[in-house]
Amino acid sequence: MIDNPLSVDFCDLTFKTPIVLLSGCVGFGEEYTRIDGFSMSAIGAVCLKGTTGEPRLGNNPHRVYETPAGMLNAIGLQNPGVETVIQTILPELDFDKTCFIANVSGSTIDEYEHVTRLFDQSPVQAIEINISCPNVKKGGVTFGNDPDMSARVVAACRCATDKPLITKLSPNQTDIAENARRCIEAGTDGFAVINTLMGMAIDITTRKPFLGNKQGGLSGPAIKPIALLKTHQVYQVSKNHNIPIIGQGGINSADDALEFIIAGATAVGIGTALFYDPLICHKINKGILAYLKQHSISSLAELTGSLDRY
Amino acid sequence: MGKSSHSSIFEVSATVVSHQHFPGKQHILKLQAPVIAQTAKPGNFVHMQCGPELLLRRPLSIMRVSASQGWIELLYKEVGKGTRLLANRKENDQVAVLGPIGQPFEIHDDRPRRLLIGGGVGLPPMVFLADTLKNRDDISKSFAILGSEVPFPFPAMPSNIIIPGIPADTIATMPLLENWGLACRLCSLQGYSGCYNGYVTELARHWLETLDSAQRKQVEIFSCGPHAMLESVAKLSQEYNIPCQVSLEEFMACAVGGCAGCVVKIKTGDVFSMKRVCVDGPVFDATTVFYP
Repeated sequence: MIDNPLSVDFCDLTFKTPIVLLSGCVGFGEEYTRIDGFSMSAIGAVCLKGTTGEPRLGNNPHRVYETPAGMLNAIGLQNPGVETVIQTILPELDFDKTCFIANVSGSTIDEYEHVTRLFDQSPVQAIEINISCPNVKKGGVTFGNDPDMSARVVAACRCATDKPLITKLSPNQTDIAENARRCIEAGTDGFAVINTLMGMAIDITTRKPFLGNKQGGLSGPAIKPIALLKTHQVYQVSKNHNIPIIGQGGINSADDALEFIIAGATAVGIGTALFYDPLICHKINKGILAYLKQHSISSLAELTGSLDRY
Repeated sequence: MGKSSHSSIFEVSATVVSHQHFPGKQHILKLQAPVIAQTAKPGNFVHMQCGPELLLRRPLSIMRVSASQGWIELLYKEVGKGTRLLANRKENDQVAVLGPIGQPFEIHDDRPRRLLIGGGVGLPPMVFLADTLKNRDDISKSFAILGSEVPFPFPAMPSNIIIPGIPADTIATMPLLENWGLACRLCSLQGYSGCYNGYVTELARHWLETLDSAQRKQVEIFSCGPHAMLESVAKLSQEYNIPCQVSLEEFMACAVGGCAGCVVKIKTGDVFSMKRVCVDGPVFDATTVFYP
């Protein structure tokens, strides 16, 4: 893979490019392939829609609302349940084109473990533990905001799989680095930093929240500086253990992606930016390549965490 | 999915051919977008970039297309920041358009009496549907009712097509539909000349009441408009036991089925599910959306 300067190693997987499509933004991986010009070959990995033990309807509408430089979402983990995902959705995915990462959620530690164990026997190449979903009443961020609980979820999932385990960390907590440290001790192989920030919007005419769930998760460029700092903070812990990070939160351009890589990310997550430009990944790849050439850098790995050197 | 999918949605930079402005903050935007014009069907919509300061696109339903000339026409009303920005676009500007998107209306040959009911910004898909009906032999059996509480974005004209059961002073129609041979009447509570002074569903009832039971079994309703109007149309269709397809709208993020942000709660039998308005709809069987 020396010929491909965009290629990155992530938890012993080879991503063709550093771009990871984020869970919840691209369904189960097939939706964007309907768009002319979109190619999975531009994508390093796809994180599939958050999956639980049983099917979930998700939250009532409205589920999305645009905010200045961002958007709120409160989908509520709508999914058909792990068995349907494994039996009917995964067989349709083209694993030759890119890597697919399952995203595991649950209301209890047992549910996280159960779903992880089932995905362990499936063709997904890695498993992301979502302990940071802000839009469900049980589980999700209530686990992710407490380092003890986070570690217990990671430990339970660790027992259920030998596949690479990526923990998606919440920004809605006091000390993300301490949480990261505990997750490493519990056996995580990688991190996704960050999930959305909790927020709300109110319709002043009706005096009701715009979102059916009252509150939602804020994403988009508005959260980029926060996500960048959190990535940098987690990297200070993870670099000593060779634990890679998918940096994510408001990335909208090659320059944004490069900032995250310099801050410590090995790969970068793209989500909300796809909604404005579904073909943005090709442009980000092109911009990163141009940067590498301009600075005579032969592989992206050289750039990861390079902020420390200055 | 993945292995077997083929591209059906196109991301194009479209040139503004014309942009007409009407009272009530209504606008008709004509775009040169050949690949969308050639593949769009009635009920489809496009997802538009309205301005770089916005993070999300805006979904707008397609009103007319010309496959041979390569243009599409959109009717929209300024309702927020996105449509306000879009209204500033001038001739020859470039706009990014994603489309065509969504499940279209389905025409059934065994129901040739098609009742089209459009309200406000729900007019476009009805006009598009009428356009595809114009070359059918059975077009004379169909009827379109268009309602608006702001002046119609076209000059209304008196119709020469006689429709039994319709009040004699209800004569106003849309010229385009008149030319296509589709019986049509306009409705409003604003007292516009020649328009039916009442709700679209009241006028629909007048028409349905002129049909005998065999004729009613040939009717299918197609509707797009405000939620309350669609609910009334659905009730009417259930009362007369007539199938009804409704086109819905909802806040949208991706518009290609990836985010599940634009769902509607659907009831099929006794089972509830959340369907994405963008790709599972926007056209749905009314009984699954408006259930007792």
